[in-house]
Amino acid sequence: MKKHVYVSLVVLFALLLASCAPAAAPAAEAPAAEAPAAEAPAAAGEPAVCATDDYGCAKIEPGQTIKIGMGSPMTGGDSAFGIDAENSGKIAVADFGEFEGFQFELVAEDDTGTAEGGAAVANKFAADPTVVGVAGHLFSGASFAAAPIYEEVGIPMLSPSATNPDLTKQGFRVFNRVPFTDALQGKAAAEYMYNVLGFTKVAFLHDSQDYGKGLAEIAAAEFEALGGEVVELLGIVSKEADYSPVLSTIAAKDPEAVYFGGYTQDAGVITNNMKTTGLENAVFFGCDGTFGTDYLNRTAANGEGSYHATPRTPPDTPEKAAFDDAYMEAYGVGPGELSPFTWNSYDTTTALMEKVTEVAVLGGDGALYIPRGALVDAVRNLTNWTGISGTYTCPPVGDCNIEGPQFWVVENGEFVAVN
Amino acid sequence: MQAKKESPPRIKRRNYFNIIRTIFGILVAAYVVWRLYTVLVVEQQYTPDIWIRLLIAGLIIGGVYSLVAIGYTLVYGILFMINFAHGEVMMIGMFAGYFFLEATKSIQTASGLNFSNAHPVITVLLAFVIGMTVASTTGFFLEKIAYRPLRKAPRLIPLISAIGASIFLQNAAQLLFSPQVRDYANPSVINRGIGWPVTIAGANITISYTGALTFGMSILLMIGLYWLVQKTKLGKAMRAVALDKKTAALMGIDVDAIISRTFIISGALAGAAGVMWGFHNGITYFYVGFLPGIKAFTAAVLGGIGNIPGAMLGGMFLGLIESIAPTALGISYQLKDVIAFVILIVILIFRPSGILGEVLSEEKV
Amino acid sequence: MNRQLFRASSQKGITFGIVLIFLVLINFHIMAATMISKLMGTNVLRGAIPEVRFLTYFLVFFGIWIGWSAASKSEKAGTRVLQGLVAGLSMGVVVALFDLILVYLLQTQTDMRRYLTNLGFDNINFFLQGFGANGILVHLGMFVLSGVVGSVLEIFFQSEGVANSKQAVRNFLAESKDQILDRLPDLVKKTGKYLFYLILLVLLFMLPSRWGSYYNFVFGLVGLYVIAGIGLNIMLGLSGQFMIGLAAFFAMGAYSVALLNAPQPHGLMWGFWPALLIGILAAVIVAILMGLPTARLRGDYLGIVTLGFGEIVRLLLQSDVLSKFTGGPRGIQNIQGPTLMGKPFNDVTYMYLILICMAVSIFLYYRLEKSRTGRAWLAIKEDLIVAQATGVNIQKYRLLALCIGAAFAGLAGGIFAARNLFTGPNDHTFMVSINILSLIIVGGMNSIPGILLGAFTLKGLPEILREIENYRLLVFGALLVVMMLVRPEGLWPASRPNLEHEVKEKIMKDKALSEEESDA
Repeated sequence: MKKHVYVSLVVLFALLLASCAPAAAPAAEAPAAEAPAAEAPAAAGEPAVCATDDYGCAKIEPGQTIKIGMGSPMTGGDSAFGIDAENSGKIAVADFGEFEGFQFELVAEDDTGTAEGGAAVANKFAADPTVVGVAGHLFSGASFAAAPIYEEVGIPMLSPSATNPDLTKQGFRVFNRVPFTDALQGKAAAEYMYNVLGFTKVAFLHDSQDYGKGLAEIAAAEFEALGGEVVELLGIVSKEADYSPVLSTIAAKDPEAVYFGGYTQDAGVITNNMKTTGLENAVFFGCDGTFGTDYLNRTAANGEGSYHATPRTPPDTPEKAAFDDAYMEAYGVGPGELSPFTWNSYDTTTALMEKVTEVAVLGGDGALYIPRGALVDAVRNLTNWTGISGTYTCPPVGDCNIEGPQFWVVENGEFVAVN
Repeated sequence: MQAKKESPPRIKRRNYFNIIRTIFGILVAAYVVWRLYTVLVVEQQYTPDIWIRLLIAGLIIGGVYSLVAIGYTLVYGILFMINFAHGEVMMIGMFAGYFFLEATKSIQTASGLNFSNAHPVITVLLAFVIGMTVASTTGFFLEKIAYRPLRKAPRLIPLISAIGASIFLQNAAQLLFSPQVRDYANPSVINRGIGWPVTIAGANITISYTGALTFGMSILLMIGLYWLVQKTKLGKAMRAVALDKKTAALMGIDVDAIISRTFIISGALAGAAGVMWGFHNGITYFYVGFLPGIKAFTAAVLGGIGNIPGAMLGGMFLGLIESIAPTALGISYQLKDVIAFVILIVILIFRPSGILGEVLSEEKV
Repeated sequence: MNRQLFRASSQKGITFGIVLIFLVLINFHIMAATMISKLMGTNVLRGAIPEVRFLTYFLVFFGIWIGWSAASKSEKAGTRVLQGLVAGLSMGVVVALFDLILVYLLQTQTDMRRYLTNLGFDNINFFLQGFGANGILVHLGMFVLSGVVGSVLEIFFQSEGVANSKQAVRNFLAESKDQILDRLPDLVKKTGKYLFYLILLVLLFMLPSRWGSYYNFVFGLVGLYVIAGIGLNIMLGLSGQFMIGLAAFFAMGAYSVALLNAPQPHGLMWGFWPALLIGILAAVIVAILMGLPTARLRGDYLGIVTLGFGEIVRLLLQSDVLSKFTGGPRGIQNIQGPTLMGKPFNDVTYMYLILICMAVSIFLYYRLEKSRTGRAWLAIKEDLIVAQATGVNIQKYRLLALCIGAAFAGLAGGIFAARNLFTGPNDHTFMVSINILSLIIVGGMNSIPGILLGAFTLKGLPEILREIENYRLLVFGALLVVMMLVRPEGLWPASRPNLEHEVKEKIMKDKALSEEESDA
């Protein structure tokens, strides 16, 4: 019985300690519009802009770092995405350097790609007064749960990969994303297949996840609207190792091409399986999730003649090459091998840091003041911002990529742009 | 005085649960028959060669499931615990094979090709040997660290320990090898996607080399295991320990050693399954053992837990169901796991000890 | 020093050495060094490499640990030091061999990061503590020395003098505790327990609005898992049905609230409370569907079937076929939560709601446990055949347990979805069931304090300890294994009155008394 008393006392103590430890975060209380927005200028030197900003200012004391947060799955089956994003982000922070004597710091937290994790990470960031922006979250589910929390405290989001179309239809001020929406890509893919490649019978597959399914459904709908025949619209179970059965069934209907919404792993297996299930002559048409050296490695000769997509990148710029080298040297694997969003993550982190430097004001007391509302607007107003993964314009709702995708075909083991 | 089943002696009274069960069974059977009729007779959109392709794919997957299921059943028959970490043992075997293949890829031979392409047969065999060895070592240590101290504990405790071991191994692999999904570097002779062109029922079907390899090795290993268990002294000892530990100990059998050896054998089988999986499908990463692990356990239960031929049958059965049932029943392929689980539940409702019946010791009761 | 001791110590050393190599390969040592440096005041940026001396502290600590554990109490001092020496030496040799490989990699500039992702040259240099090739000998010496130091410390702390002083301190503490307790006014003594609960209640009332939304979120999550855990405990602990598919019931509750309260896919806005009730009902219906066919199944089979059910529910929620009804893999967003006098709930009010639901669940649990139904469950769990013989309707009570447990889980799921404003099939995977199962077993089955503690340890601590973030799941897995090996009854086991034991004791006492009388 004594042991139980000790244990309960320890737990109680831990709880009290935990509740006392962090400075009661004023940022966590909802600074909603109705509350008196004007804070009495805390210390001499706080710029006037902070009093009029609807979210107030983030104050970075000398010696503290300006934190850019990142929410992504870092454990579990999808951890390749999170680890890759963190790797890119770290290079971005290192490349950016100091600002007015203050350093940036990347704080990557694990949100397991789910709403539960997204909300937990968002709450954590919201409670930390030195987190000013979030290069995430990576998955749409987590972004949905996190965005309302950031909206309350004024932390802008710039996601490298959340593609659920509804995210920008909620009226969030803080949410922005750089990948093109499924609507855009699906339409462009359908048009390319019908008009340029002349296919009339296409089977549409997806990996039953949010991203792939949305994409394939839109592409199929557009293809049908153009006059093509949607032979089949099916979901596969992602991360399986053999898709021969479903492909054999599709082969019975004789499609000219197989469109796939999903990522390289499943795409590789499907491409290989196509050769032994009667679909040897069908063309594999992928998306931006299937693009990468990863795909080439997996499929070797079987991948010849397959199509993929990416954002319209500037032709290989020296910055991109420098980034690729830096990534390889720092981590021992090539960019894009862990996830296709490596370059997006670099750009989102860099863009956030750039906007911070634009709106930040050095106070008289040596601390850095970052007006949150101004930052949110600055990120939303990104216009013609060019990074290593594309050119982005975010107004009015936060869909930053309004140009369509660029398509690539695999020829002789390499990607060749076709439009 | 043994009651092999836990359910109470059948009392002859109108048990309305039984009535519900019968109605349920009739409904399910009716649905299946109707769907089969619709797909096969009415719509008839599939030519025989499609069915043959599905059959081949099903047999290949079934072989892999069988091997892993045998591993589960061996352990359950002896210890009455579900070895949740078995899927991870398979994953470790897969990684071992992967590293070996990567190593052979970089050794250059006189003929200008790398070692793997120059001597494909030796490479493949060595990959299996190495995969199986590493996996069985893992199984051995797993038992020693996480299961042996818990042998006398109530059933739930080793189960949680197994779950913990499974999570630990998965994440250890992720942290050691990064979550990057890797590809098996097959010797180019047996690259994925190429095979023998055969003409069956008027259509050209390709039987892939890796598929044939997988199926062949599974059958070979299953025969080998059956011989081991039925015809060798070790097998006899294993069966004795599985039947009644105390009496076996009285007869002079070292129960601890036999249990260790069982884990080694089941680990070896899982490792072989992992290497096959790698050759045939290529996907290698830390999470790959999770789903096949659960499915293989389902297969073992389906065939009758503790029953080795049952596990073989269950594995094949599950593989074929996964492959053929969605098409045969006209249900979306996305729901193939749902079909598999539903079939499991249906079979367990009507035959609670699995298809071939369970083989468990008297201690269980 | 004889052969056996030598073998034991060297085996220990080798094992520790292999563990250290594993930790190095997963960069755990960098995290440990970072934590040590933070404790000692030097802040390290995320992902940066701390200073080498902190690694030295970590390695020395490791060496001392192994020296301590190798020295066994029963030997004389000299032998103990030898044991520490041998253990440290074996560990040093293992690590030295590893260092040899590392130095080779450095010198040939072979980049192994494709295979072992943490063997970058920076890391290797860090582990060799900047000594390069000399690091091999440095490590060897360090471990031998710290092994010896560890064994010396062990001798010291286990020696008579120290043991005596420990006992003296304990006595002093016990005495002072008794003295203080005696001096307390009578009133406090009588009502002590109630005062404790009152203070707890006041704390629970005040804390949610004080400690910030992050803690509200984390402890709210803990609370929800407690409610679901109580549900699972009713199924597993009280009535002995092995169930690993709790996520299905949780999902039913969550999706009911979601589907009936979101603009898409149906545009229904039935309000949170009706939807919650419907969610609980849906969970109960699924429980009946699950329980009816499986009434005759034995333990492990039931487990795999319930696992199957859990997966079926998730796959169906994700499928295309039902996506118009359930929202598919996209999930359901913008769930409207409950409102209090017109204002939607914020994190503080959610915390209160969860606390109230927790209190209700705990209350119901205690009532159920002591009720007739609870006794029937106990009978079924302990001995099925005898229970049947005594006239207990097995199937009815089993089904009842499933339904009640499912109701708890559904309640938790409903609040979960409303609080997150979003739910999707990926929120209801197999891991959810595993988490809840682990939580009640690690905490202690059939014991409410145990479930609370288990939920806090497995769900609350990892959130708070985000420092060890990448290793969270690794530590979770290891913790499960270690807990089962060390304390399988749980952190705070249930104390069940053990009538057999009490009766036996009484008999012994009576016997002793009667013997005294006959002697006298």
